[in-house]
Amino acid sequence: MYDAIYIEKAGKPTVTFAFEHFLNDAMSAASSKGMPVVRVVPETIVSESTVVADIEKAITAVFDDAVAALTKPLTAEEKSPQPREQENPPRIIFKGSLEDVNRFFYQRGWTDGLPIIPPTESAVAEMCTGTDLPADHIVAELEPRRGKATVEKIAINAVMAGCLPTYMPLLIAGVECLSDNPVSGMMAASTGSFSPFWLINGPVAKDINARATYGAASPGDIANATIGRALGLLTKNIRGVRKQVEDMGVLGNPGKYTWVAAENEEFSPFEPQHVERGLKKEDSAITLTFPQSFQQMMPFGTDAKGILATVIGSIVPARMGQFILLLTPAHARSFADAGWTKKAIKEYIVKNAVVPEDYFERLGLDGSRAFDRGTGSGPGGTRDIFRPSRHDPDPVQVFVYGGFGSWMGFAQGGPPPVTRKAELPKDWAKLMAKYKNIVPNYIRY
Amino acid sequence: MSADNAGILYEMLSPWSEADPIPLQGLSPRLDDLAGKKIGLLCNNKRAAPVILDVAERLLKEKYPTAETSYFHARTFSVSSLERDRKDEFDDWIKGLDAVIASVGD
Repeated sequence: MYDAIYIEKAGKPTVTFAFEHFLNDAMSAASSKGMPVVRVVPETIVSESTVVADIEKAITAVFDDAVAALTKPLTAEEKSPQPREQENPPRIIFKGSLEDVNRFFYQRGWTDGLPIIPPTESAVAEMCTGTDLPADHIVAELEPRRGKATVEKIAINAVMAGCLPTYMPLLIAGVECLSDNPVSGMMAASTGSFSPFWLINGPVAKDINARATYGAASPGDIANATIGRALGLLTKNIRGVRKQVEDMGVLGNPGKYTWVAAENEEFSPFEPQHVERGLKKEDSAITLTFPQSFQQMMPFGTDAKGILATVIGSIVPARMGQFILLLTPAHARSFADAGWTKKAIKEYIVKNAVVPEDYFERLGLDGSRAFDRGTGSGPGGTRDIFRPSRHDPDPVQVFVYGGFGSWMGFAQGGPPPVTRKAELPKDWAKLMAKYKNIVPNYIRY
Repeated sequence: MSADNAGILYEMLSPWSEADPIPLQGLSPRLDDLAGKKIGLLCNNKRAAPVILDVAERLLKEKYPTAETSYFHARTFSVSSLERDRKDEFDDWIKGLDAVIASVGD
């Protein structure tokens, strides 16, 4: 829709064909660019359809509407749209019991469906002790809504998610990651259900008990559970990307609740992710990627040869964007002991991940359209599954986390990673001491 | 409003962020007729988009045989937002048109 708005602003009448389920999304996109009334012709073509007969039928059915959209005189509202009431609610929005609060917030579309902790004045003030920045400091404006991510709004959403104040430095850095990535708004809204995957590095990980070992990405640790959740709530309440309004993910993605791991720096033989991305080892940082899928498998062998064979043999061309190899510390050690570096692993995968010559023929596919918009791989296209480019010069990443086992994983899809340093407040040691001991203490049975 | 079992009432801060108002703009004037006009066909890189426009172009020329068409194929979801290196090319293409039919493939 952004291009249609751009063309209208250049003085040329424009009409856009859009799938009938995407009208809200189209209108939100248009509003975000200052043109809340646009001419869209709804059609019945399912997103990404390749069925030519369906497309032919659907466009034939609405073609006269498209002609009318270019020729029918404008209404007064279309000529001069009136400003909508700005949805900037008062700072104090509601008063009620825990049950009332949860129902009110849920019905406003401000939650992820799970219960929230009430963001009271005192809880938010305590959350704000996690940063030296003032509450009204604007960390970023997040598209498409261009909502202002002030420290206080970040803190409010953090309280709702159940965060501790010691997570604020990572949440602020996370918002900067979302802002720095030019397509993260698009990722949040995509039909591909891309989910943020947050990797924590540096000393802050241990300070806040962010899990790097067994089950790092599973439920059970406040930091991993709530940091991703808070950033998901921010996506709704600041970015303005809501399910089936702007977020048109078709299958959805459980990672959107939260998907957070700390890199297992203690047992990884490789340089940590944030060091690879230019920060110092003693820095604390968070890295944002946007995979749409997560797959685990038992490798053909637990040495470098077996793991790489599993990688090369398992990557399919129908994928979009980055590929993240998820190694346990044990697997990373196998590589390192055999002389492999992360750089060498990446180069090997990029070089050797190719589509077998008879792949599409065996699948009965003889078309000429690319499956992967980024690489151009597909029937009649390149056989390279990865094609480093100016936009994605480093399409393979290696993250090391988890316990000592032989399962390996892939996380696939999305734009290149963005890493930001987390700035800790001056009284970090005192704050950390206050919250450090909040950990589960499991009884034996 | 009701109190919970402990009689506690919570006063909530709003999680919904403020956003500056955006200057609003109306649509461009429409054409009287498409006959003899040059119509741009803009598709993004989603795979249904060019097929949709192929059908639209054929129907357009059936209805308006004197209409001309001109394609612009985006390499991404949005030329104006994501393809800064093609801005001049895109602007030149727009200048030569009377109207545009766009397909976003969704």
